[in-house]
Amino acid sequence: MRLLNGFINAITRLNDWIGRAVALLIFVMFAVLLLGVFYRYAIDAPRVWTTELTQFVFGFYAVMSGGYVMAHRGHVNVDLLYSALAPRVRAVLDVLTSSLFFLFVITLLYYGGTIAWESVDSMETSYSAWNPPVWPFKIAIPVAALLLLLQGIAKLVEDIAIAVGAIEPPAVASDRDSNPGETA
Amino acid sequence: MSIELTTLAFFGALLFFLVLGLPLTFVLGGVSVIFLYFTWGIDSFYMVASQMWGTMENFTLVAIPLFVFMAMILERTGVANSLYRMMYLWWGGTRGGLAIGTVFICAVFAAMCGISGAAVVAMGTIALPSMLERGYDKHMALGAINIGGGLGILIPPSIIMILYSMITGVSVGQMFAAGVFPGLLLVVLVAIYVLVRCYFQPELAPALPPEERASWPEKFRSLGAVLLPILIVMMVLGSIMLGMTTPTEAAAMGVLGALISAAVYRKFNWTLIRDASLRTFSLTGMIMWILFAAHAFSAAYQSMDAQAMIEGWMELIPGGPWGTIIAMQVILFLMAMVLDPVGIMLITLPVFMPIVQSLGFDPIWFGILFVINMEIGYMTPPFGFNLFYLKGVVPPSITMQDIYRSVLPYVMVGIVGLAIIMMFPQIATWLPGYVF
Amino acid sequence: QDSTTWRVQSHWPSSSSSYDDSLVRIKNVIEERTDGRVKLKLYPAGALFKAQQTFDAVKRGTIQMGTISPAYAQNQMSLAGIASGLPFAFRNVWEAAYFHQNMGFEDMLREEAAEEGVYWSTDKVYPTEMVVDRPINSMDDFKGLKIRSSGALQTFLTEAGASASYIPGGELYTALSSGVVDGAHWGAAQGAASMSLYEVAKYHVKPALNIAGTDVFIINQKALDKLSDEDAKTVKQALDEQFWVRTNEYLYKEQIALANAMAEQDVQITTLPDDVQQHLTEVAKKSWEEQGERSDKAAEALDKLKSMLTDLGYLDDNA
Ligand code: NA
Ligand code: NA
Repeated sequence: MRLLNGFINAITRLNDWIGRAVALLIFVMFAVLLLGVFYRYAIDAPRVWTTELTQFVFGFYAVMSGGYVMAHRGHVNVDLLYSALAPRVRAVLDVLTSSLFFLFVITLLYYGGTIAWESVDSMETSYSAWNPPVWPFKIAIPVAALLLLLQGIAKLVEDIAIAVGAIEPPAVASDRDSNPGETA
Repeated sequence: MSIELTTLAFFGALLFFLVLGLPLTFVLGGVSVIFLYFTWGIDSFYMVASQMWGTMENFTLVAIPLFVFMAMILERTGVANSLYRMMYLWWGGTRGGLAIGTVFICAVFAAMCGISGAAVVAMGTIALPSMLERGYDKHMALGAINIGGGLGILIPPSIIMILYSMITGVSVGQMFAAGVFPGLLLVVLVAIYVLVRCYFQPELAPALPPEERASWPEKFRSLGAVLLPILIVMMVLGSIMLGMTTPTEAAAMGVLGALISAAVYRKFNWTLIRDASLRTFSLTGMIMWILFAAHAFSAAYQSMDAQAMIEGWMELIPGGPWGTIIAMQVILFLMAMVLDPVGIMLITLPVFMPIVQSLGFDPIWFGILFVINMEIGYMTPPFGFNLFYLKGVVPPSITMQDIYRSVLPYVMVGIVGLAIIMMFPQIATWLPGYVF
Repeated sequence: QDSTTWRVQSHWPSSSSSYDDSLVRIKNVIEERTDGRVKLKLYPAGALFKAQQTFDAVKRGTIQMGTISPAYAQNQMSLAGIASGLPFAFRNVWEAAYFHQNMGFEDMLREEAAEEGVYWSTDKVYPTEMVVDRPINSMDDFKGLKIRSSGALQTFLTEAGASASYIPGGELYTALSSGVVDGAHWGAAQGAASMSLYEVAKYHVKPALNIAGTDVFIINQKALDKLSDEDAKTVKQALDEQFWVRTNEYLYKEQIALANAMAEQDVQITTLPDDVQQHLTEVAKKSWEEQGERSDKAAEALDKLKSMLTDLGYLDDNA
């Protein structure tokens, strides 16, 4: 059991740690946008990179959140029936419905991977006026899918363990932390 | 299998897995993959990843984390709290005053940004606790935030209106102008609903007892609390109107204003920054992952020839021109329960617009009906972005069920607004005719 | 006999005149001439794939056909930059048409696309023109402009001294009306009208920034090979014919759109002063060289272009 919990915790900590770092990119978006306004409006010399950089940072920020949000059980679900069930029944249900999760995330991992690979292979750039490389941002898709997949595996292992009675369900009845980030 | 049956199976599968409690994004993504397999085979899975990259490249979405971040800072600085205290001192004597004030603030928010979620997050974070603290019924409070948030796409600027214009070829400026009075109409309708409902059921939104009401000097002193919020509104709206920024860039001005407020309130520190950025990350991530999957879902549905189905239906509708318009609204309403507005636009508008125009209706007016319908769709279960935003910020004691139940009367208010604008098209068409 | 249905992702929204005039037209022509053996199922912009991903989707065979702008194939095609238009090169649409069809540029594009397993056929050539909210009477007027632009033209306009910034299409109208920018290019007259730009920018700028084959049909080569020889030939011929029909028709509709804008929205034509035009041409020539450096093919295409422009008397022999 210690091994099991260790595995689950390690993955959750990994996603939490990455999430905490990526979350700070909000400042980059904020600062670059303001800088863009400054260049264009105040000194009449717009820079070609501001909009596009914000754009790419945002795409990276958004996609990389998947694992972190799942680690904190923040992906919203409909709790109509769900909240009325006993924790062990819930765990069984989650094991069954996880098939859909894996279908989606593995699709993203594989096909996102081919998109990223083609981009790396050709050293793709955006061909805008700024023309930055695109591949680092395309790689984010399979990387994010992998992090999410790991978290999903951790959750599956946990659910199976709960279902067979190997470990106790988490004490808190709530399915999501009201304030992720302040709990870890 | 006919498209009608496929549609039934497609949305049936969506509902089934939703009820089983799997997070929405995985339901949408997983169901898309399954149905793509049966329509176009395994090669089409590329579409799922490709739609994700397309969504990552959508610049107007950048406004989401910025407005969310602004709200998270404001909540933690106490600006928001003093704003609501001020509102309570002034309108505490009116039952439902805070709910009406909240919708009013949503309308101001709507004038600052072109999307729907920003006001929901801001008000869900700031207004909801204030209302609950003062004994407001949770359904009344949640619903008011839901409908208020939707105003973002009806009151200009509006990304949905720009998309409508691009798809249908009508003027963006006229669409913007046409949205102003319908937006105000909805604010008034919500206010009437709240006042009437609270007149009969005072316990839903209690007024401050007479002996506790503030004196005039107290009221005026409390006005200081609006200075910073007004500064932020002026920074955002002013920078758009002066031609300094686009609406998305203006969101960054809002963040700047919030950071200044934090400094003024002496709350600017690392803990605030870290907490606000983490909350912003979770909430934006939750919404963006729904959007990633929702776009794949829309694309998968279109791959099944959804448009041909709508075309088929349109030929069967009785009741003349008005029967057709009403049937279209019903179709939009139903689709908005399960699809996102951009997908609905792509599926329905190419079919609807030629019919609307050949029947002699004003496409601007129809556009406003469309936008109001999408606004209602943002809060109709099971799939509505306002619902998800709200779920992302409310305390754990409030369940999705509470949020779902809260919207019913407000959906009715929205439908009444829709009906009024159908009966009196001038509400929408007068201003654009006057301005252009 | 069996029929084949191709899925076709367009980069035009269904309201765009080209959706009907180009896409629906080619669908009808192909379906009629193959007696219904080849059918096209059309999807408007963004339905299945975003415009930027359509080349990839066609290449992979997820869809069999698509329409794109060459700019969306930059990564796969070294000729895409020249195909999407070198600034201030051609002065008339017929010159661009001649370059594509008679000077062999279309064949070069086809060869390069074939390496990716894609069949390339330009839909039409047409100009890209700016609209601005004030007349341009001098170099200072031009240099004082904030222009919404994108891609190679953004670099070009910046180098020419204007302040060119990129603003996404969805925010363009708002940006132009509030004065975030003073001008923009979105196609030419029809494009500007479709984005309601004439409401907020009353001056249509001549001459064109570029003239090029900005709309293209692409077909998955394997899908094309699966057709009978006769049907494949029919499809290719229909596309070849389309180029001429559409190029001419588009020019005609441009003029109508501009005339309407002038009559109904008080739009005026402002022609760039000679010194500004000369300055822009000088800056443009330097920017062409970058495109030539992308590959041997691109260098060859650029040489062809320059020799044609020299023959036309637009370039000095030593340029
Ligand atoms: Na708005
Ligand atoms: Na809905």
